[in-house]
Amino acid sequence: MTTADGLEGGYRRLLRWYPPSYRCRHEEEILGVLMAAAQPGQRRPSARESLDLLSSALKIRIRMTLRGADSQPWAAALALVAVLLPLLMLLLKLTEFLDRGAQYGFGSPADIVIGAYGEPGAYARSFQLNPHSVALTGNVTDLLTAGPLPALILAALACLGWRRTAAVCAAFVALAYLGISLTSGYTLLAGPRGDVTLYAYGLEALVLLAASDAARGWRALRWRPSALLAAATVAAGVGMNGGFWPLFHAAPTDPASALRRAQNLDRLASLPHGFIDRLFGIGAGGWGGWLLYQGTLVAVIAVALATMLVSSPVSRRALSLLAVPFALGAVIYLCSLISPPLPGPVGNTLTAVPLLLILLAAMALSLGYRPHAGPDNPARPAAPGST
Amino acid sequence: MSRRPLQEPTFLLLTALAEGPQHGYGIMTDVERISGGRVKLRAGTLYAALDRVAAEGLVEADREEVVDGRLRRYYRLTPLGGDLLAAEVERLRQNAAVAAKRLKLRHRAIGDLP
Repeated sequence: MTTADGLEGGYRRLLRWYPPSYRCRHEEEILGVLMAAAQPGQRRPSARESLDLLSSALKIRIRMTLRGADSQPWAAALALVAVLLPLLMLLLKLTEFLDRGAQYGFGSPADIVIGAYGEPGAYARSFQLNPHSVALTGNVTDLLTAGPLPALILAALACLGWRRTAAVCAAFVALAYLGISLTSGYTLLAGPRGDVTLYAYGLEALVLLAASDAARGWRALRWRPSALLAAATVAAGVGMNGGFWPLFHAAPTDPASALRRAQNLDRLASLPHGFIDRLFGIGAGGWGGWLLYQGTLVAVIAVALATMLVSSPVSRRALSLLAVPFALGAVIYLCSLISPPLPGPVGNTLTAVPLLLILLAAMALSLGYRPHAGPDNPARPAAPGST
Repeated sequence: MSRRPLQEPTFLLLTALAEGPQHGYGIMTDVERISGGRVKLRAGTLYAALDRVAAEGLVEADREEVVDGRLRRYYRLTPLGGDLLAAEVERLRQNAAVAAKRLKLRHRAIGDLP
């Protein structure tokens, strides 16, 4: 191998850090410049050259990611998610409400507003038990994450295309929940479902600021992926809340079928317990039934969705964005399973950090947003100076 | 929209292309010459800057050549880039004129002192 070959190989290895599409267009050209500028007899890239190429590769990557918000598929996906995310959150809350309400009763109007699903009378009861701060902050945090009200307001603002107002509203809900929880001594790690909602609202603020097309409001919706995702949300909401559970636990009238069912349940319950039942919070003996009936439903819909959505670049991007809060929630939940449990402050920090990072990114985007110079926006000559 | 003043490397890059299209290595050596050896653009920095000014519509690809088996892409200033450079030159000229005038007044004032 000659010196030039070794040097060229070194430069090529460094150029691999650039994004593929950029390399495709510029690699040979940059390599030509690097080789022309190399010192005679140089055997390998110098430390300064390496640092320059690596930092420039990072710069190009960041810029292409940010600029990606201006490119067609990302712009459409961001605008779609900006409207769809609050609508799906609303749908999820309504599904939970109907599902739990049908099983346990709907409670008072105040319970409905604060989202006390499955705990009707919680609002009134909490005031009877403790009319002071704990009950009040508990109800406020429930209102912010479990209740349908923030999702309803956000969905309305996003559909109207009021992106800045909606972004402020989403960031406020997330920050208010975080602030109240931390100052009132709640353990965030213990409530992964609330955390998913928290991340979803944080992400919504970020997406709204990143998507200039979000001003189109409901017109940015694409009906096929939206309908599919809505169906999946309802299925997941019903499944996760045990909506079909009473159907399979209704007392059978026929003794033979009752025996068969009991045998089946026994067989299912004898399968090893572990991760799945803990993940979904299913009690001993119940997880097999869950997996068979509701899990199958959710899985079938998820597979159908995935196969249908990957066909379109916009839907694929939208789906990956929508997965972010759920993925973060899953990670947080897995952290809550660590034994011995993490101390409260550590858990809270762990939960708060992703949200704060999302909101910081939203703030940076909001402060750093500048319209691009372009043909419609030419730079103006400086005003004549005066002496 | 008023635009922030150009940073020196960007100003020098646009200046290097003001006379006519140049390829990457040509721009690199020209920038060093124009700045009297003060500003040395490395390849990574040069292409990151080219990417930025191209995205802003100030510079565009002109033509490609293959020399000694290596690809050379030439870049040229767009009309928008030319206008921006002219505006920047005018801004600097006015600033320099004001500074020179005031310095002259200052020298006169100091000279007048007993």
